[in-house]
Amino acid sequence: MNATVGALESWLPARGARSSDPAWLADERHRGLAEARRQGLPTQRHEAWRYTGLKPLLEKGFKAVSEVAATITEGEIESVLVPGLDSYRILMINGCYQPALSVTDHPRAGMRIESLRHLVQHEPEIVRGLLAQAAEPDARLFTALNTAAIDDGLVVLVDPDVAVDRPIELIHLSTGIDEPRVAQPRHLVVLGDGARVSLIERYVGIRGALYCTNSVAEVILGQGAHLVHHRIQAESPVAFHLSSLFVRQRAASGYHGVNIGFGSAWARTDLVARFDGPDARCDFEGLYLAGDGQLIDYHLEVDHRIPQCTSREHFKGLLYGRGRAVFDGRVHVARDAQKTDAQMSNHNLLLSPNAEVDAKPQLEIYADDVKCSHGTTIGQIDPERLFYLRSRGIPADQARRILCLGFAGEILDRLEPAALREHVAEQVGAQLERTFAAS
Amino acid sequence: MLTIHELRAAVDGREILKGLDLEVGPGEIHAIMGPNGSGKSTLSYVLSGRDGYEVTGGQVLFDGEDLLAMAPEERAQRGIFLAFQYPVELPGVNNTSFLKASLNAIRAGRGEPPLDAVSFMRLMRDRLKVLHLDDTLLKRDVNAGFSGGEKKRNEIFQMALLEPRLAILDETDSGLDIDALRVVADGVNALRCQTRSMIIVTHYQRLLDYIKPDHVHVLANGRIIRSGGKELALELEAKGYGWITGEEAAA
Repeated sequence: MNATVGALESWLPARGARSSDPAWLADERHRGLAEARRQGLPTQRHEAWRYTGLKPLLEKGFKAVSEVAATITEGEIESVLVPGLDSYRILMINGCYQPALSVTDHPRAGMRIESLRHLVQHEPEIVRGLLAQAAEPDARLFTALNTAAIDDGLVVLVDPDVAVDRPIELIHLSTGIDEPRVAQPRHLVVLGDGARVSLIERYVGIRGALYCTNSVAEVILGQGAHLVHHRIQAESPVAFHLSSLFVRQRAASGYHGVNIGFGSAWARTDLVARFDGPDARCDFEGLYLAGDGQLIDYHLEVDHRIPQCTSREHFKGLLYGRGRAVFDGRVHVARDAQKTDAQMSNHNLLLSPNAEVDAKPQLEIYADDVKCSHGTTIGQIDPERLFYLRSRGIPADQARRILCLGFAGEILDRLEPAALREHVAEQVGAQLERTFAAS
Repeated sequence: MLTIHELRAAVDGREILKGLDLEVGPGEIHAIMGPNGSGKSTLSYVLSGRDGYEVTGGQVLFDGEDLLAMAPEERAQRGIFLAFQYPVELPGVNNTSFLKASLNAIRAGRGEPPLDAVSFMRLMRDRLKVLHLDDTLLKRDVNAGFSGGEKKRNEIFQMALLEPRLAILDETDSGLDIDALRVVADGVNALRCQTRSMIIVTHYQRLLDYIKPDHVHVLANGRIIRSGGKELALELEAKGYGWITGEEAAA
């Protein structure tokens, strides 16, 4: 059988492997490629793609980013920074780590923030046995494609018991180049036992630029390690965004993810967590907004295969115009995973009759001594609340915006530090203002 | 200031107000009393412009202008304030930012510039002091998780801040114990002035022990069937609504 991934063959880098690349990495890429070709393109008959068609993505004919130097001005870089945010800041442009534009000086002892490409070229042994271990390309075509194209990305390595003093902020900026291109950054975050880190991952684009991002991040948490992980998807309004996150947690570790998605025309995010030891806790929280011409799809999977772990999936959505969203949350509790505590909720506000959300919470429980629950709501703005605000002199459109921000606030309030929270809340507020002004 | 003439209104096709007349002058306090189902809350909602209340006849003039043609926010901007019987909870909406949005919307309606943050905070603290309230109220979400008494106090606080020209208090006394009732009544009394009129809608006389009305009206079956001074409230308390509604039916 001459398997291919059809139109997505063009996502593979044209160049061959660098001669300096270690053999094990070439092997990983080959495995990724073989897996992608084995799977081929999914159709909407595949459960994981039931509500999200690939057609719009395939039609654009994205090609792998080349080494074309991006032309970017200082002003453009300035425009994507979060005012007042004090962070270790890594800037990637179109999938390439920009050391000259990154601010990682004076790192605390016991932590490393590096470019994956740089490490592979100079100290490959450091990432060997870590890279491509947590990710699960089987049944995940875009993870397999990313693996086939592993080149650059952010690597964070933190020694045991080190608490990193400032958030580590990754800005992935896409500019749109000569023709529609896809960047496939690959990130790796490894925390030693008892380490504590706050990581901010932001995807942004020059307004109006057409491009695709297909990122994969692997997170490995040692015993008692703790990661707070904020992910902001604010891509260009016409862009395509694919992102997959794989979290592996040792005993008593904690992962707290806050996902805010409001950019791009078409977005698909997969969040996957697996427990490798007891007493670990994973929180996936999120907020998505989608309006005219936007589709935002979140797929979550938490695998309780170890007893005594806790998970929370809590996502909220605001849909307006002809916006569409998909929330697919799956919690799997294995037969031996007693004392599992898992809760999932998904609440949506539909602001127009043409907006749509497909919500699919799933609990698969094979153990008998567990505490599991899920709840989904899809509603509209409460007319009583709207009238209350209007009776206080607040015009109807502003009142709707206040109610939407109140609804979103529960998730936005989770963002830390305050500079990030205010920046994102402002962007969300501005998006809502445009929406209500247009309606 | 407010003239209600032959007002008729229906909810879900059922007529509730059946030709109601009322005249409220500047600085006057009018109590509207009546049995359950007489149309008291309907009157409050029709005056404040809530959806779902269809005006089928009559007119309401506020400063000579057609009140019923205005959107709810416009009425509020003109100086009408409804203290809700059941104040609505707004989870996620901070009380301070809500009050600021409200005050500045009303100021904009009056052609005034928005208050800057410092002046706004000063005004809020001043009003809290007048009403003997503490500022923990400001840090919470609007009415979310408030006790019944806290919700009513928050209504009176909004009224103090927005300085309406006509306040409608819809069963503000319902669900309040005697201490909370006193706090609310003291607040209302502190806001009495020559230019501010009030319509106090209530089922019981007891609120009127604390807020002395200039006029008392009895609303029954969608119309005002008796008007008088504050002694009318006491008579109602002693004899019950049957006394007057029965008299009406017999007449």
